[in-house]
Amino acid sequence: MDGACLELAGKAFTSGQAEEEVERSLIRRAQRGDRAAFEGLVRRYDQEVLRMALRIVPSAEEAQDLYQEAFLKVYRSIGRFRLESKFSTWLYRVVMNVCLDHLRRQKTRNETQMPEGGDGQPDFAHTIPEERPLLNPERALETQQIGARLQAAMTRLSPRERMVFELKHCQGMKLRAIGELCGTSEEAAKNSLFRALQKLRGDLQDLV
Amino acid sequence: MKCTDIEQQSLLYIHDELAPGERADLEAHVAACESCRRGLEQARRLDQLLRDCPRPEPAPELLVMCRQSLDEALDREQLGWRGLFRSFVWHFGTLPATRATAILTLLVFGFGLGWTIRPHLTALQPVTTGDNSSAFDAADLNDVRIRSISQVAPDPRSGGVRITLDAERRVTLEGSLDDPHIRQVLVDAVKGYDNPGIRRDTLDVLRARTQDPSVREALMYALHDGNPGVRLAALQTVGSMECGPDTHAGLLKVVENDTNVGVRTAAIDTLVRHLEEEGPDEMVTATFERLANTDQNPSVRMRCLAALRNLQGSDAR
Repeated sequence: MDGACLELAGKAFTSGQAEEEVERSLIRRAQRGDRAAFEGLVRRYDQEVLRMALRIVPSAEEAQDLYQEAFLKVYRSIGRFRLESKFSTWLYRVVMNVCLDHLRRQKTRNETQMPEGGDGQPDFAHTIPEERPLLNPERALETQQIGARLQAAMTRLSPRERMVFELKHCQGMKLRAIGELCGTSEEAAKNSLFRALQKLRGDLQDLV
Repeated sequence: MKCTDIEQQSLLYIHDELAPGERADLEAHVAACESCRRGLEQARRLDQLLRDCPRPEPAPELLVMCRQSLDEALDREQLGWRGLFRSFVWHFGTLPATRATAILTLLVFGFGLGWTIRPHLTALQPVTTGDNSSAFDAADLNDVRIRSISQVAPDPRSGGVRITLDAERRVTLEGSLDDPHIRQVLVDAVKGYDNPGIRRDTLDVLRARTQDPSVREALMYALHDGNPGVRLAALQTVGSMECGPDTHAGLLKVVENDTNVGVRTAAIDTLVRHLEEEGPDEMVTATFERLANTDQNPSVRMRCLAALRNLQGSDAR
């Protein structure tokens, strides 16, 4: 579809440009208080926002709270959004600030423990992996155990280290972009990533 | 480049964050230094391990819950003072300067007047007018969704205040599922209402009347709903009703075409449950055999294989 063109208001648009134009129109309408347009924007990005939240916090309830808080903030401040920048970058910055605030509050309350299932392992019942390695149950169990250890190791990272690691490792963003998103320098993002990987390597030493 | 720099540099190297010159320096150093080569290999293994780890994916039900609670929060936001203020500010901002000044003057005057006469104000009184607006008690305000306020003015006759607003009154229908009107409202909700949480709740209610043709039609429609959580709920309801060839065909469409693997495998399980009770269906068996061999998704292939084994076992019994 990338190469596809369509005629809109007398101008030739590629599908990507048309998509951007639709998004801009939704933003303008949402800025005028059009609830349906705002919900249209939510539907475009909310799966990714929820996925990000689930990577940052261990429980579905917390992720649901972060999802709601982030979109309410966007709803309240969308009037101030300037169309020169990318909506997704602005949205992810809001999500990230909400997540960082949440992690800082949690750290202050010293409540960063993982919710545990009955067997003492972190409870991931709220998540459904799309592709399960059904062919080899032993491998599946091993992968699950490594996943649980990684989640536990993640709780020992500082909020900023965790955020930088997630953005780099899961979103595949460049350190410069992460720095901009975090409101810091590329060098500071690089240091955060380095510290995060060092801590993770320490915790998962026996596996590598 | 010194060995002490390599630890940090190797992490950046495998994340493709080094400048070309730094990459070349690191590669030259590692080629000549056994200990740094081992360090780089270990960093690569850690990276691979982290990539292989299963990452949490949101369950469709969680997404549905999130959207529903956001919807409710937005309702509260719109009806609260913040929403009304925002709406007022936007409308005010779009007016020409002279008109905006006139309105601001009137508002200030109105506020001053209201403040002056405030000792005379009593509780909110119900109002009846000759136009289309209807009268209601203050207690009714809880059931009214305010869309906009078009006029706020002191009433010199009563000493009170007159508020003209556009509102939708919340209506509660009560009745039996035997009532065709009630059923029609629910069927319409499944097919047309934009809140997935409500569509899902409606499917749960309709589960008790799956013998009704309009309900069956709505269920088959919901199998192709835009929301995977709603499709899963529809599958559960279809699983509990008596099926026929038309239902099998509808479920097969989901198995073959749905974009969500969880929904596809749930549709396979639903078909298996039906066939175990109703006996074999050649079209279903043929489709399972084809998907077990050719489907791109391994979970679907495995589930079809298991389904065929189950169905052969139940035939043998």
